[in-house]
Amino acid sequence: MRNVLLIAKREYMEQVKGRTFLITTILLPAVFAGVFYLSFLSGKHSGTGKHIAIACSDPDLGAAIRTQILSDADAKATVDLFPAEMPGMLMDSDHAKLVQEVDDKSIDGFLWVDVPANGQIEATYDAQTAGDFVTAERLQSALNHALLRQRLARSGVAASAMDALLKTVKVNTRQVKNGTEVTSNAVSSFYSAYIMALLLTMTTMIYGLNVGRSVIQEKTSRIFEVMLSTVKASDMLTGKLIGIGAVGMTQILIWVGAGAAFAGSALGAEYLSGNLQIHISIFQVVLFAVYFLLGYTLNSALFAGLGATLETEQELQQYSPLAALPVWLSFSMILLISTNPNSKWVVAASLFPPCTPIVMFLRMGSQMPPLWQIGASIALMLVAIWAVLWFSTRLYRVGILMYGKRATLPELMRWLRYS
Amino acid sequence: MPVVELAAVTKAYQDKVAVNQLSFSIEPGQMFGLLGPNGSGKTSSIRMMIGITAPDSGAITLFDKPFQRTSLTRVGYLPEERGLYKKMKVLDQLIFMGTLRGLSTEEAQKRAIAWAKKLDIAQSILKKTEELSKGMQQKIQFISALIHEPELIIMDEPFSGLDPVNATLLQDTLLEMKDQGRTILFSTHRMDQVEKLCDSIALIHQGNLVLSGRVREIKSRYKRDRVHIEFTGDESFLGSAEIAEARNYSGHAEIRLKEDGDAQKLLAEAAAKATIYRFELVEPSLEEIFIQTVGGKVDA
Repeated sequence: MRNVLLIAKREYMEQVKGRTFLITTILLPAVFAGVFYLSFLSGKHSGTGKHIAIACSDPDLGAAIRTQILSDADAKATVDLFPAEMPGMLMDSDHAKLVQEVDDKSIDGFLWVDVPANGQIEATYDAQTAGDFVTAERLQSALNHALLRQRLARSGVAASAMDALLKTVKVNTRQVKNGTEVTSNAVSSFYSAYIMALLLTMTTMIYGLNVGRSVIQEKTSRIFEVMLSTVKASDMLTGKLIGIGAVGMTQILIWVGAGAAFAGSALGAEYLSGNLQIHISIFQVVLFAVYFLLGYTLNSALFAGLGATLETEQELQQYSPLAALPVWLSFSMILLISTNPNSKWVVAASLFPPCTPIVMFLRMGSQMPPLWQIGASIALMLVAIWAVLWFSTRLYRVGILMYGKRATLPELMRWLRYS
Repeated sequence: MPVVELAAVTKAYQDKVAVNQLSFSIEPGQMFGLLGPNGSGKTSSIRMMIGITAPDSGAITLFDKPFQRTSLTRVGYLPEERGLYKKMKVLDQLIFMGTLRGLSTEEAQKRAIAWAKKLDIAQSILKKTEELSKGMQQKIQFISALIHEPELIIMDEPFSGLDPVNATLLQDTLLEMKDQGRTILFSTHRMDQVEKLCDSIALIHQGNLVLSGRVREIKSRYKRDRVHIEFTGDESFLGSAEIAEARNYSGHAEIRLKEDGDAQKLLAEAAAKATIYRFELVEPSLEEIFIQTVGGKVDA
């Protein structure tokens, strides 16, 4: 055990003192924060600042739509009322003129509302951009709102009563936990879990690959034979896994500490409010550590075995999509996970060891999974780790002394038999 | 009691038998040479002695006990494929190796500094290994193998790739270790080094033991049928009926006499035709003995 700890300490010190550790410790959260803030801002500002023209055969309705759009402060839109050639009627020449304006980029788009005598209103939004569904939604809402007001007015409802009648109600979200209701913010809960899942993914992948890289570096530097004259291959591997895992934990602790300090500061309180409020329980923090250790051990055991069969870091790089595969799989299910976290597919994915850490944390964004599922997922991960370690240590023992060329599949089978 | 003993050790990789029924022993305080051409099974034998691989059959005894890993703290090993942690500082590296072999950090540091002074690399001890020249790195590798003052030193092809200065340095260090009573085993395919340094040898070929024992005893088993002559003048005496084989290197001839060849007759013939500066009847070299024993079928 003394030698395992000495090896772990050496790995730990070498990596922690390295420039890569310093850079990733600072850069990774900065990149994360930047990406999240950007996606938050882009969500908030999507479809804003548009210059729109409204062409409506009913001038009153047109004006009401304009007022409705302008009342939405978030839209920050500029809205012109298009003066039709023949007031009260829209003609092809009007349409052609508006199309020309869009084409000239003097306006972003125009809303064409034709109100025929039979009341079968037809509305079209023509724009420079095809995928601007946010503006289309806004215009549809404004049109329907204005129409409703107009119809209510025609039915004799007084303008003073109309605001009260049309007052919208916001649906607040609450979560039922252990028979009691707690106030929740669906967006912030989702983002908190999403960040943790992403952090977990990045760290387990990065440090798993680091183990593979470290094995290849030692193989290239021919240090193994010297080491093996003193320590067992299994002790070397264990020391390496502990040392590099400890580096990962150190990095996470630094991030958690920095995050907590920021959240506790006045600046943090200002920024981390509303949809950006952090919703992380102590239990989630504990689970984060547990799933990090399990995910890291699974990945690193896999890459240690793989590294022992390879000759260069470039070869290892070719296998990195292997580590990314469960990540793609998990994130492709993100919509299903956030809306239906207890569906059988989501539960199955969260019990599939390579996906467990990510899917479990994404599920926690919507609802804390039942304890038995958390327990089962940990047990299944331990079984998977045992199986991967069984193969990897055998490949490692033989592979670290094989130099010169990448091992073929029949050779790998022989290595498994040798051990 | 032998420090190392191999008894009928066999190791095969797939269909290739790397070591076949190999047996020899090394007595305390001996400098022992494991000889053989490339691919003869030297490295496979050494790897089994220090537990990197296990024999398929046979027994290995270290320090009078069946092989156990705990004995390895008493062994210093320099493999043929030498390596160092390139990003580590020299001192940290030596301390790490020392502590792995049972030293305390303080003791390892003390010894690392003493060795660095002795081998004249004290100025580089705080540098990263990758910043050092190959010669310097070789010195660090020696220290790393010897820092825990092992009773048994095993070196696989220690002189290969060494510059002449470091080769002499290693040779002197090994002799010093021997004087201190340590047992040394080194493998080589350079038989001239063994003749100079070793008390005993085991000569292996294609995994089989060909010869073993004390160098003097082995050589004494062979007739003195080699003659070295330095001369000027007529070289036609090299066609003498006494000679089985002769090589002439511009006035320096190396001759093997026939089975019944007479050295005195040859001297008389040579003196009649040329001026002789040196005429020496020598015993065969280990290389010649080896070639003679395996019938010249050497792969290297």
